Amino acid sequence: MFLGRVVGQVWATREVDDLRGKRLLVIEAVDDASEPGAPKVTPVIAVDPVGADVGEHVMVAFGKAARVACGGDGDLAYEAAIVGIVDDVHAPGAPESWRPESARGRA
Amino acid sequence: MHVATVIGSVWATKKDASLDGLRLLVVRPYTTDGKPSAETMIAADPIGAGEGERVLVVHGRAARHAIGKGHDIGFQTAVVGIIDKMELSDGRVVGPHVDFDEG
Repeated sequence: MFLGRVVGQVWATREVDDLRGKRLLVIEAVDDASEPGAPKVTPVIAVDPVGADVGEHVMVAFGKAARVACGGDGDLAYEAAIVGIVDDVHAPGAPESWRPESARGRA
Repeated sequence: MHVATVIGSVWATKKDASLDGLRLLVVRPYTTDGKPSAETMIAADPIGAGEGERVLVVHGRAARHAIGKGHDIGFQTAVVGIIDKMELSDGRVVGPHVDFDEG
């Protein structure tokens, strides 16, 4: 599970049945410790059952947790899903970029 | 799940029996900084993707489910879709095939 920012969307027509009708978002992790705030360069594509928008900060789950969040039992052909939209993050010492833009500047 | 570009194929005659008949592709993950990723992966392909196409790649049990049709299988990376378009918030649009890229 990681904290990421939605940076885009993907569409695919030729895809396995499990992905039909699924909203697919492009997520960059925001927790790169080597350079605070720097996004990771290989983005993750996650199924979005929550309804997140581009620019929002989200929690992304992997594996069975992701499939359960999408209403499946464990046998689905994807392994990453958005499980929550982040309102705010409190983590002393963490870079400001961890917080969603809507929360920045607030105490 | 990642976006990757198909850069080649792999053939193997002597292999685990669960892999018989599977197409194996060499894919390179998409990076947002525009530089080619140093890492490549081998992905089984039940869809029929061709060289240069941009695909969705899954790992682990999701991959085994996509290619094994419910059976356990000795492989952990699979192509599950060919992308039509990826739009990024910085305005970049990534197409379905490297040949369609501008510049």
